[in-house]
Amino acid sequence: MIEFKKVSKWYGSFQVLKDCSTYVDKGQVVVVCGPSGSGKSTLIKCVNGLEPFQEGDVIVNSESVGRAGANLNRLRAKIGMVFQHFELFPHMSVIQNLNLAQTKVLGRSREEATEKSTALLKRVGLQAHAQKFPGQLSGGQQQRVAIARGLAMDPIAMLFDEPTSALDPEMINEVLDVMVELAHEGMTMMVVSHEMGFARKVAHRVIFMDQGEIVEDASKDEFFGSPRSERAQVFLSKILHH
Amino acid sequence: MFSGYDFDVIRRSLPYLFREGMTFTVTLTLMAMTGGIIFGTLLAMMRLSRFKVLGLVAGGYVNLMRSIPLVLVIFWFFFLVPYIGAWIIGADQPVAVGAFLSCVITFTMFEAAYYSEIMRAGIQSIPRGQVAAGQALGLNYWQSMGYIVLPQAFRNMLPVLLTQTIILFQDTSLVYVISVTDFLGAAAKIANRDYRLVEMYTFVAVVYFIICFSLSYLVKILQRRIAIVR
Repeated sequence: MIEFKKVSKWYGSFQVLKDCSTYVDKGQVVVVCGPSGSGKSTLIKCVNGLEPFQEGDVIVNSESVGRAGANLNRLRAKIGMVFQHFELFPHMSVIQNLNLAQTKVLGRSREEATEKSTALLKRVGLQAHAQKFPGQLSGGQQQRVAIARGLAMDPIAMLFDEPTSALDPEMINEVLDVMVELAHEGMTMMVVSHEMGFARKVAHRVIFMDQGEIVEDASKDEFFGSPRSERAQVFLSKILHH
Repeated sequence: MFSGYDFDVIRRSLPYLFREGMTFTVTLTLMAMTGGIIFGTLLAMMRLSRFKVLGLVAGGYVNLMRSIPLVLVIFWFFFLVPYIGAWIIGADQPVAVGAFLSCVITFTMFEAAYYSEIMRAGIQSIPRGQVAAGQALGLNYWQSMGYIVLPQAFRNMLPVLLTQTIILFQDTSLVYVISVTDFLGAAAKIANRDYRLVEMYTFVAVVYFIICFSLSYLVKILQRRIAIVR
């Protein structure tokens, strides 16, 4: 469903992505981890063209993202994305946040969109907050709204860019629970995260990145059982032993 | 102390001052504000555009307007607009634009330069992530701007926009140079006709002060309310 073909990206002379090739199959959950600055977020943002890249290509649903003249807006409407800092629209109520792209991009009627949004809010346990503004919600609640906003577009895949790293510890699980449920339903997911518990529970594959390179790309059991590279071993020992 | 002054002239001329003069001043202010903010927002979007040429054109325009005295711009437009109009529609005679329309165009064009700087700061104050979130949902540039960036930028900048409008309200008095009867112009006519300069100009100053001071006060209250909402 998503395929990276030798993607390279530079900021000026600094190379942030080096020849990255990997894939996410339909219904797979792939967790991307690695030290900060390793290019994980940049990699995931290449999928919907939020980060342009200079070499290689990303193929989503047999459409090229890197090709000049690619219809990025149409592609993006099909891929949900959840950000580290939620990025809900603060001047709109929760329900308006969910309705906006449904009506403006997909052309759904207001009633249709509201029905869809209400069902999704119920699913993430926030139907009572539909009329509130994002600023009135906790971080965990905001992130669940953000997930619902992505799902409202009936996406073929969901991208998560460190969805829990801006949250207070006690709110992490309410967000992870929603994500686990999604994974169990068979949603195709690419998740940049340090939540190894989540990866153990639902990931099919784990990608480990360091300094812009994909160092390790292995099944979950392989990765946690016996990581091949030393860098992955060091990283794992750092984040697992505390 | 006030013998020799006739303050009753103010009472007698009130209907004329407000019905003619103040109406003009307020209408001009509101129209120039609306036009200026719309045009200024477009200029700001051009300056922040990734197309360099648009940025240069808008930047040049803003810097030009901000470097010329307003009085000069008023004169310049008053005498030039009829010729531009003729050139656009291809007439061989200058088009009679009328003082009012000429004023509206002048103030819109001039104030747009200032409003655009405010809106530029407002747009830049919106975190990049907000635009990314809009893009990720499939919204195009105009939709992201219209539904996400501009409403927030506008709300954040509302106090500053209103403060600029208060300045605009005062600046409209400069239309006296092309003999237009705004509030000040109306008072000046009475003052000269009845030779009551001190009375009339004092009154005008008091009225401007009261209006602008109360508006500034309202802006301050508004500023506090916006700060709470955020």
